[in-house]
Amino acid sequence: MSDLSGETPEAPEPTPEGTIPSVAARLALYQRAGGFIVPLITTVFAFFIGGLVVLVVTHKNPISTYKAIFNGTGLNWFFPWISHSERVTAAFNLQATLILTTALILTGLAVAFAFRCGLFNIGGQGQYNLGAIVAVLVASSWTGMPGVPHILLSIVLGALAGALLAGFAGLLKATVGAHEVITTIMLNWIVFWLAGYLFGIGGPAQSSTQASVPVSNEIAPNTHLHVFWGNPILQGLHIGFFIAIGALVAYWIILNRTTLGFEVRAVGFNPEAARYAGISVAKNYFLAMAIAGVCAGLAGAIDVLGWKFRVGVDDVQGSSIGFIGIAVALLGRNTAVGVFFSALLFGALVNGTSTRNLDPNIFQPELASNLTLMIQGLVLLFVGADVIVIYFWRTRGKLAFWRRSEPAG
Amino acid sequence: MNARAETRFGNGWVRFGQPRSIGMLGIGLGLLAFWLALPPLATRTVLWPIFVGILAVGAGIAATSRGAGRVGWGAIAAGLAGIAFGALATRSSLGHLNTVVVWSALLASTLRYATPLTFAAIGGMFSERSGVVNIGLEGDMLMGSFFGIYGADITGSWFLGLLIAILSGMLLALIHAFFCINLRADQIVIGTAINFLALGVTGYLFVSHYGANGAPTSIPVIPDITFNWLQNVYFIGPIFGGLNLMIWLSFLLVILSYIVMFRTPIGLRIRSVGEHPRAADTVGISVYATRYAGVVTSGGLAAMGGAYLSLGFVHTFDQNITGGRGFIALAALIFGKWRPFGAFAACLLFGFSSALGDRLPDYFSQGSSVPVIFNALPYVLTLIAVAGVVGRSIPPAAIGRPYVKQ
Amino acid sequence: MDETPVLELKGITKRFPGIVANDHVDFTLGRNEVHALLGENGAGKSTLMNVLYGLYQPDEGEIYVKGERVKISSPKDAIDLGIGMVHQHFMLIPVMTVAENIVLANEPKQAGVLLDYTAARRRVEDLSRTFSFAIDPGARIDSLTVGQQQRVEILKALYRHADILILDEPTAVLTPQESQELFETLRTLVREGLSIIFISHKLNEVLDIADRITVLRRGRRIETIPRAGATQSGLARLMVGREVLLRVEKKPAEPGEPLLVVEDLTVKNDRGLEAVRGVSLEVRAGEIVGIAGVDGNGQSELIDGVTALQGLESGRVIVAGRDVTRSSTRQVISAGLGHIPEDRHLRGLVLDFTLAENLALEDYREPPDSRFGWLFPRRLIARARTLIREFDVRGGGPSTRAAALSGGNQQKVVIAREVHRDPRVLLAAQPTRGLDIGAVEFVHRRLVEERDEGRAVLLISLELEEILSLSDRILVMYEGEIVAEYGPDVSEEELGLAMTGGVREEVVA
Repeated sequence: MSDLSGETPEAPEPTPEGTIPSVAARLALYQRAGGFIVPLITTVFAFFIGGLVVLVVTHKNPISTYKAIFNGTGLNWFFPWISHSERVTAAFNLQATLILTTALILTGLAVAFAFRCGLFNIGGQGQYNLGAIVAVLVASSWTGMPGVPHILLSIVLGALAGALLAGFAGLLKATVGAHEVITTIMLNWIVFWLAGYLFGIGGPAQSSTQASVPVSNEIAPNTHLHVFWGNPILQGLHIGFFIAIGALVAYWIILNRTTLGFEVRAVGFNPEAARYAGISVAKNYFLAMAIAGVCAGLAGAIDVLGWKFRVGVDDVQGSSIGFIGIAVALLGRNTAVGVFFSALLFGALVNGTSTRNLDPNIFQPELASNLTLMIQGLVLLFVGADVIVIYFWRTRGKLAFWRRSEPAG
Repeated sequence: MNARAETRFGNGWVRFGQPRSIGMLGIGLGLLAFWLALPPLATRTVLWPIFVGILAVGAGIAATSRGAGRVGWGAIAAGLAGIAFGALATRSSLGHLNTVVVWSALLASTLRYATPLTFAAIGGMFSERSGVVNIGLEGDMLMGSFFGIYGADITGSWFLGLLIAILSGMLLALIHAFFCINLRADQIVIGTAINFLALGVTGYLFVSHYGANGAPTSIPVIPDITFNWLQNVYFIGPIFGGLNLMIWLSFLLVILSYIVMFRTPIGLRIRSVGEHPRAADTVGISVYATRYAGVVTSGGLAAMGGAYLSLGFVHTFDQNITGGRGFIALAALIFGKWRPFGAFAACLLFGFSSALGDRLPDYFSQGSSVPVIFNALPYVLTLIAVAGVVGRSIPPAAIGRPYVKQ
Repeated sequence: MDETPVLELKGITKRFPGIVANDHVDFTLGRNEVHALLGENGAGKSTLMNVLYGLYQPDEGEIYVKGERVKISSPKDAIDLGIGMVHQHFMLIPVMTVAENIVLANEPKQAGVLLDYTAARRRVEDLSRTFSFAIDPGARIDSLTVGQQQRVEILKALYRHADILILDEPTAVLTPQESQELFETLRTLVREGLSIIFISHKLNEVLDIADRITVLRRGRRIETIPRAGATQSGLARLMVGREVLLRVEKKPAEPGEPLLVVEDLTVKNDRGLEAVRGVSLEVRAGEIVGIAGVDGNGQSELIDGVTALQGLESGRVIVAGRDVTRSSTRQVISAGLGHIPEDRHLRGLVLDFTLAENLALEDYREPPDSRFGWLFPRRLIARARTLIREFDVRGGGPSTRAAALSGGNQQKVVIAREVHRDPRVLLAAQPTRGLDIGAVEFVHRRLVEERDEGRAVLLISLELEEILSLSDRILVMYEGEIVAEYGPDVSEEELGLAMTGGVREEVVA
């Protein structure tokens, strides 16, 4: 009762209904419970359902389908028992996977950082695209500029573009309370059509050398990012990978070792209490979105400088890497380590189901990309249902207790 | 979300002017947009009228949301008219008759573009009024689009296709309902998951069934209803003379949904569950059942909108054909303050911007990529609407919060 | 009183994870009786009634209504059996009208499908007349006073033909006058044939209205006694199990210079209406000023205005000599204002933060917690350890999440955070809401200690007993203005009168 009398302490108070648990608070439950196991279970479950879909709809063997996909990912490079020729192909595939992982880490962070502040950033795709657009414009102009500054300029401006786009949505949320889900989706579509305008036939940024193709100019040769593993001609892994890893470290540091991160987390968990303690909620909404936008814009810029080298209307309009970032962040529980492994998983999945790697006889690549979408949806679904997963995780130890206290009749 | 009259940003306060004067300013801007294209200024580029027109619309929205309704709507109308007229005028002389014909075609086109939004927005109303946010309207719509075509194809009847479409939307919404209501998951995350699922499922089935050739061209489509006696009536004729059946159904739906929501016991109970679920629970209303009904209905209605899009409007299907319309419908719902007629008006507004974006490119030379940018008009408008309206528009009090039955 | 009890609960047991809320409780209600259920917060009174009303299912036990064994699995069953409940937090929908709220789920129909609004209005009017309530069926709930809303709740039960009425802490939101009116209403209802269960933790009221009193403590029924012969101190001892300090002992105040000065403050509320109208007051060092008033008369907006959580229309706020009128909340805090907010879950704590982080919620920007934006977590933990010890916070350490603590300990964390910064002014809004007696004692003692250390304490509370017990000066707030000022010896009646606008003077305190 009373703690002063030293008797048995009261039970913890339940959160009253009046409190709206923010997205960050709900996901906080996740981050604490289950650590690594719960995401693993979720993933396995999602793949399982995906396999069922494959079986039911196409009557193909899901095991061989998944095996074919796995072979394309290059993850078997880590197995020491494979043959040399297998290792060469695997290395090749793994480089491609890691290129995708690089982008996914960054788009995942873009979603994760916003989530930590209680915001749902669905605009990663638009921010990525805008970053790519700005980077290609900068890197294909001023060809006289020396390499390193040119690269830096392109990357910085691309990241900044993403920050401005996301920051705009954050500003709207901060000032008039506009829901960031709708504003960021609208901005996505606006960038989508902006690309169509810029790089379409007759567009102002359309290639000056290929008048019949809706693409941009190629970036200057000295702005290509250095490839450190594999053959540059066959598109090996570029140093953008390290930038992504650096971003992961920065993410962790900002959130856990800076006052900005403290504020972001406080606002994410309970904006009212933060406000009462003097923290500016509006400022943090803006900053969180802007930083998220930096990550996504960075992804776009790095992809352009790392392997795309130019941007076409189809590239922008067909890209979905920003959206996959949402699943990456949620599966990774918005933590740095989680995002890394989650990005690796989805990078492998996307690479393994691409036209380049998947044998059409086993599974059509266009179908496979849709399968990836379904798996993403399933992952989100089960990740969103934290209650059920954690409930099962907790009750497995308590089943005996529950059985004992069943009411009689 | 705060419904405050002012917000804190840094050390200053962002203050907004008098609503009425903002509205008047908007009307002025709309007129200016048109006037810019006329002598003596006679600007040749249509971008100026568009830019000024958008400002007018923005001012109008800001005014409406702060209480100056009539003036605000006037400004919105003036802004859009300014864009249209300004664009036309930059093409220099067009006969009076031509203008009229363009207008009636524009309005007919508006109705066609607005109808998918109307179905989805009204559907959204049922879900949100019962307290569940349905971001997955986009996915429900997409399912309806695909299964409408697919269903009509395999059964040979557009009616059965429509039914199959509605069923598919309801099933998808059932998943949403289960995860959000029973498992109490975050409604926005689940809604996003639903959208991904719908994209994947419809894309998958589309490719595996129709492959490289795309949807067949000979699918039975939802018929238009032609009134021969109306066809030749000046101005009204071309608009209402040959509208699709679904468009008429959408009008009916708006009226019916108003009656149900505000004049029947069912509607009262739905609203009570969305405002104060525990109060409803204590008088014996089943919160879970009501919310399930609301969400599943929204799925079915959104699917109807999607089915109209593929079966009744464009007569084909392609991956991600809905292109964000589900979200625009949601914005229309918010803009319309969760009421049927308000949402319908907002859908008309967005439909008009799409129709405009469709026709304006005709006035540009071939080989220019400028027309492409007009596709973004509805999204820009939605952005302005959401930015200007939210915070004024008060949602059902218990929306978005899972109900814990004790 | 009739012989057969109209209601009998036998051996009701209800368990939640980690706690037994009701432990084999017996309870009987006689016909035409007013039976009070007494106990402190967390004793199990509301749980028991929720079981009766079908909101909870009992793990063990039986319920008999009018002699027959029944199973109540939902509120609908309870309503069908003639049981009606008026909850502590009203189950009314603010944006709907009185009539809509009353007829909800039992709507009169027109042509089978449509809602017959005219019939609904008529029925509500008939009902109001029978019991002499004066309620407009077409009024929106959020336009009614709290007392009127409560009447609507009672009408809801009567509309459904209740003959057993449960009232959960009904006077928590009423002025003394309104409470008296409520008691009159209850006596009328009893005369008309109802039997009433009255849940409360207020000893004096229970002695006023009840025929019999059942005391619960920690889930168990302790005793059921008739009103005759019951005393406040006797009841308190039954409720708590030991001698209870009903009034805090304190030295007389020695006020010094004014540390909080509010001049002609005007603040608008969420809906753009003036909630605080030209309020002026001052709180001096070494005194506790209590603001009494019915909820919704501008107290929350006053706090929001003083702490810069909301903009001021006009007026000045001076904290410890510094004009903070145009400042941000952070600046007001650094000027020397501590604020114990009204709702510790919503506004006081970040439940998902650890105790260390919560305790640092206002310090994290300055050394030694951080430097140039770089945070030092170990310093936060060290400080937390000190404060936890000093304030005897139980239930966890610096790295425990705040949500894991009990209400009393959570409030201690909030108080510790505000007080350790050595503020000149301390603002306490509803500091003991939802706390058990032990925690309430702690908070009261602490507030007096702060006063004795020379701080200026402004206390805002809806509990008149708390105000009377702690304050050196009492201000009454009504419709956004300070309408009266009293010393600590004022009577509850006079306070109640002022709280409802009986006294209308502009007072500069």
